[in-house]
Parts: sequence; C-alpha cells; structure tokens
Amino acid sequence: MKLFVTEGNPHCLKVLAAAELIGVKCDVSHVNHEERVVPHLSRPTLPALLLPCGLHLFTPNSICRYFFETSGHESSNLSNQWLEWEETELQPILAQALYMAVLQGKGAEAAQALRGPLSFLESSLGNRGCRFLTSDEEAVADIVLWAALYPFLSDPDFTAGALPQVRRWFQSVSLLDGCENAAYTVLKGEGLNALSGFLQKQPVPPSPRRDTKN
Amino acid sequence: MALRELSSLEKSLGLKKANKYSTQGDRKVPVLQNNNGLSLTGLATIATHLVREAKQPELLGVSAEQRAVVQQWLEYRVTKLDNCPKEEVKTVLKDLNQYLEDKVYLAGNNFTLADTLMYYGIHRIVVDLAVQEKEKYVNVSRWFDHVQHYPGVRHHLPPVVILRNRFYASAHH
Repeated sequence: MKLFVTEGNPHCLKVLAAAELIGVKCDVSHVNHEERVVPHLSRPTLPALLLPCGLHLFTPNSICRYFFETSGHESSNLSNQWLEWEETELQPILAQALYMAVLQGKGAEAAQALRGPLSFLESSLGNRGCRFLTSDEEAVADIVLWAALYPFLSDPDFTAGALPQVRRWFQSVSLLDGCENAAYTVLKGEGLNALSGFLQKQPVPPSPRRDTKN
Repeated sequence: MALRELSSLEKSLGLKKANKYSTQGDRKVPVLQNNNGLSLTGLATIATHLVREAKQPELLGVSAEQRAVVQQWLEYRVTKLDNCPKEEVKTVLKDLNQYLEDKVYLAGNNFTLADTLMYYGIHRIVVDLAVQEKEKYVNVSRWFDHVQHYPGVRHHLPPVVILRNRFYASAHH
C-alpha cells in the first residue's frame, strides 16, 4: 500500500492525519504537485492511495474513510453527512477563501466568506453537545473537517467572530495523536503561506454561491 | 431530480415504507425525514442509509477497500459530475472510459450503489452523445448499457440506445 502526498497541499493534511491517528502501515511517497500518480486521470490528483488490490483511491475523503475502515470503524450516517457537507458545501467556499487569503492578501474577505459554514458548524456542535462532531469519540468526519479548516483555524490572525464550540472542538482534534505532526509535515509551521505554491497551480475558483444561509 | 432518483432507488432496493423527502437550498439538496425522528441531508448519505436499511450491505462493497471505492464514486458523483461545466464533460468521459477499460462495474466485478448513482448522474450526458461519441467512449457505453439493463435500476429514466453488437465485438479485439 502506497500513499502519495505533496507538501503544501491542504488535502494531504487530511490523509496524513488519519494515517497517523489510526497507525496505518503504508509507504508514504512525497512527490511534486505535477506528478500524475493515478493512471486513469488526465490531471495530477493528490493525495492518492494505491490499494493492495491495485486500484487507486484518488479523493482525500475516501482515503480517510479507508484508513478508518481498516481499524474497524465504518462511517456512520452522521459522519457520512458531515463528509458530504464538507465535499459539497465547505470545499467550494474554502477554495475561494484560500485563494483570497493566500494569493490576494484579502484575509478579512476570506474570513467573511467562511462565516456561513463556520456558524453552521458552531450551531451543530452546540446542539449536539458532544466532544466531537458525531459523538464523544472521534470519527473520520472530525479528521476531515479539522484538516480542511486547519490552515485558517490555526492562524492567530484569523478572526471570524466568536466561535466557542468550534474552537473547543478544533482543540480536541488537535490533541489527538499525530494530528499536529501531520500539520507540520504539510505546512512546515508556515501556516497559510505554505500553501501558495499549491494554490498558484490551481484553477481560479469560481465565485462562491450565495445560497449558504444554512 | 435527486428525489426521483431516491424514489427509484427505494423501489430497486425493495423498500416498502416510503420515506418523506424535501429539498434544501438553491442546489435542491435532498433531505430525508423518517418517522423515528431521523433526519439526513445529502444524496450520497441518504442513498447509503437506504442500502443499509434494505439490508443489502454488499451494494456498499464487500471489503474495506471496495467500500472506500464505492464511497469515492458517490463523492465523485455529487462533487464532479453534478457541477460539471460543459467544457469539462469530455475530461470526465475520457477519464471514466480509461478507468472502466478493465472493469465490468465501477468497484470491480460486482454491481454496487456506485453504479446506480453514477448511472443516474451521467444519464443526462450519455443521452446527448452522438453515435461516434458513444463509440469513442466505448467502455463508458458498455458499462452504461450493463447498468441500465441491470434488474430494477432504470425506473424513472428513459433507456438510451447503445449498439450492443458493435461494442461487444470491439471489446474482444
């Protein structure tokens, strides 16, 4: 089993954190952004995991799911729902926010763009009243959302209003084995700036939709 | 659209109790509400739940690897396929064609939920393909034809004519 990752790619943080937390035994191969690892995809797609059966997993969330599955944790309905929210609602806004914050130096606008999803997260955590997103134990969704939001939530200059529940949850996940380690591997302690090389190679994200009231 | 898919999926799984659905936001994300107070949002999440409810876990994959592959294609469906801009359609077809070159179904040799949802999602694209394009993306066409003929799957969607003989002949070159 071989995991392909690259530095400064925020999606790689998810899979490295999940691998460290679960204690997965796999070769980690550091490649450059342009490397085409998955033979059936026209564009370079990282991270990717070459499975023992010879197939590749080419989305970070499915790789994280697989790591959790190998330790006997099938994703629950609630965890699936968070993952789908992350993929369809959060990621488009996050891509826009990263672009603004890192490449355009518009940190305040980025924070503004993230206000909707963060307040949804804040109220969901408050309503549920658990330590993590789905229960008092961490699920794959916690790692995925934590890693997705890490570049912003770990930045001392990031201000998106008071988010006590989000801050408490973020701290709980940060304390899990291997998470901060994975963050250092990808961001090298440079925070958002570590992502600029990766973001310059990405297509300009489309403007965010205006239907994120939640 | 998603609601018709979910209703077709319920029928193909043989689920008797009808669930209540609504949609949310401009993207019309499906929301399931059942009598036990359960509420779930999102096409892939709800579809996975329905398969579990119908006690057909093999449709979600029979190993940890296959389960991850199935979920990956559900994710692909709701992220890439559903928002696919016109200029990206060819890349999607090309990549999928390459992927399916040595596979009967998306997760390998057995039919899974990934096939059902990718079939529902790609139908609007395949229905508009010219004959030459169907030939160009021969593996996609072959897979699509398998799935639309799979018992109980098609339901709300019109059949798409695929010239089967030619494809089966060319598959054995």
